Amino acid sequence: MKTQLTLTPGPIDELALIAEREMSDGMGAALVFNGVVRAQEDEVTIVAIDYEAFDDMACHQFELIFEEIDRQWPIESARVVHRVGVVPVNEPSLWVEIIAPHRAEAFEACQFLINAMKERVPIWKRPVGETSSTSSQAV
Amino acid sequence: MTVTVQFWSYFKDHTQCAATSLKLPDGATLADAHTAVIAQFPVLGDMRHSTLKAVGVDYQPDEFPLNDGDEISLFPPVQGG
Repeated sequence: MKTQLTLTPGPIDELALIAEREMSDGMGAALVFNGVVRAQEDEVTIVAIDYEAFDDMACHQFELIFEEIDRQWPIESARVVHRVGVVPVNEPSLWVEIIAPHRAEAFEACQFLINAMKERVPIWKRPVGETSSTSSQAV
Repeated sequence: MTVTVQFWSYFKDHTQCAATSLKLPDGATLADAHTAVIAQFPVLGDMRHSTLKAVGVDYQPDEFPLNDGDEISLFPPVQGG
């Protein structure tokens, strides 16, 4: 399985990512998921989320998750982009692409990847309110 | 032995530092290091049971035996996505 992981402080350029897509002729599913920053976190209105990552460990944990996916599903490729730093409301903080022969394994692998990320990958978020740069408590 | 401990997310706010070093007896475990950190920063005691612990880039259990120079990380539950 081909994998690509990017942790970036810059915006996610989905058109560029799709233009770079490599997909063999046996593949029938190209699944893309965007995780987008909501304006409400725990019923509080925010303007952005500030993401912090322990980069080395995050990359290692994503690699372990990729290995688990490769053992469980016939996935041709998995690409993940996660932003770090301040991400405004309505912008994606997470972009995932799974290329697979059929939709079932693509959906299952994508769901697994995101669930595993939320359990294991050391990335944290702080809501940014309208009147302060960051709050003191994580969401 | 001497180990370093890094704090992440709001643990840094509570400790008001990004890292500290600990001197521990030979044979100390990750749980021993965690206990020593809480003695130094009591505010982290309330979060003891929800604290995630890693050595290097891998999660490790409380009974993990430490070695001189190990880099420990302590942090709250992760929140990516």
